[in-house]
Amino acid sequence: MSRIPFSPITINWTLTFRCNFNCRHCYSRPEKAQELPTEQVKEIMAKVARYKVPFINYGGGEPLLRGDLFDLTGYATGLGFNVSMNTNGFLMTEDKAALARESGFRTVGISIDSTKAEVHDDFRNTKGSHKKAVSAAKFLKEQGVRLTISSVICRINHMEFEDLVRQARDMGAEQISLHNYKCAGMGFANKDELDLTPAEWKEFYLKAIALREKVTDIRISMDDPITATIHKAPEQAIVKGSTCGKLSLNIRANGDVTPCGFIPVVIGNLLKDDLKDLWDNSNILEKMRNKKPKEKCLTCKHYEDCLGGCTARAYATTGDFNSPDPHCWMAK
Amino acid sequence: MRNIRRNPDIIWREEEEARDEVLRAMARGDDASGDGTVLLVESGMMHQLNLLGGEIWKLLDGIDEERLVDTLAMIFDVDRDTLSRDVRDFLVDIDKRGWLVHE
Repeated sequence: MSRIPFSPITINWTLTFRCNFNCRHCYSRPEKAQELPTEQVKEIMAKVARYKVPFINYGGGEPLLRGDLFDLTGYATGLGFNVSMNTNGFLMTEDKAALARESGFRTVGISIDSTKAEVHDDFRNTKGSHKKAVSAAKFLKEQGVRLTISSVICRINHMEFEDLVRQARDMGAEQISLHNYKCAGMGFANKDELDLTPAEWKEFYLKAIALREKVTDIRISMDDPITATIHKAPEQAIVKGSTCGKLSLNIRANGDVTPCGFIPVVIGNLLKDDLKDLWDNSNILEKMRNKKPKEKCLTCKHYEDCLGGCTARAYATTGDFNSPDPHCWMAK
Repeated sequence: MRNIRRNPDIIWREEEEARDEVLRAMARGDDASGDGTVLLVESGMMHQLNLLGGEIWKLLDGIDEERLVDTLAMIFDVDRDTLSRDVRDFLVDIDKRGWLVHE
């Protein structure tokens, strides 16, 4: 499919920017937005459902801080959405795991960034957070909720990702997402301490892709367009480059729409704007979908596959969607 | 003959605008056989089906292969043997991928 789908495949939805953690890499910690009440969130869900968007994923902020989370999820699943969330797991209890199942969560993702409790707790700035995350996973599994694990790859764990995969598999997760480090929010403020060098990213991806091709009992997901420079996907991707604004959009706590959670550029608000109108006519999305090579990308033989890599990282570090991804290891 | 269904774990959506475009291209005599009209998401991976694959996919809600070919023969102007062979090949391929349930 050379064309953009007629509406997003996934809506990443920040129901709240509130969080019980204070993580060193968090993209959303500096964000502030008026949180919508239950009925307005439902109003937006109904509007989005008109365009047959199949997936909603709650990010955040910590979704479990919303007292209406399971009410909203039951409503969303009733509209036909496949709902998932990413949570730090700290507030997950046996009762809430049961509610997660009853409200229809398709999957729940727990963030775990190290196999070593003290490293995870330090990164997440919350003592006991690793133990709670492991318990959360257990509660969800006991309820039959499909489990995924999310790990943000950075300085603290890039050498132990194989252990992270093993840990996730032992917890019964179907998938582990090895997220690339985003230079947004606190992630930008702490990038010198936490981000890897381009050479280290290349080394990580070479090893992680090799592992992904070997393991069969857990899926390893790594959505990073710069991997196109070292790996050809077995099937042609639906779209090339960043998927933000091509397959997905982000909704913030106040209904504002941004191309992705890591690009704080508001293209509309779904309390007043129509999703399809934004999807089809936003100048910002048009620019993201039609990036122009710049600097080292001009002569790079991989550009047509990676399209400059992660647009969010390029934008965060230079203010220009078209700049080369700062993680890119290709020579200048 | 056993009835065939889509694996319910696979989330899918018809891309109506893409389908309309493919139909317009075919009416002009252009080759649009590589253009996707149905998107599927399976185990976190996204796939696309072309017009014939998409039409087959939509019909897989508890149908046997012969009835499937009968229905498709009303949509596609192609000889029955070719259609049967294409349908068979497609079903074998997606069955290998685990996208089908046999009743």
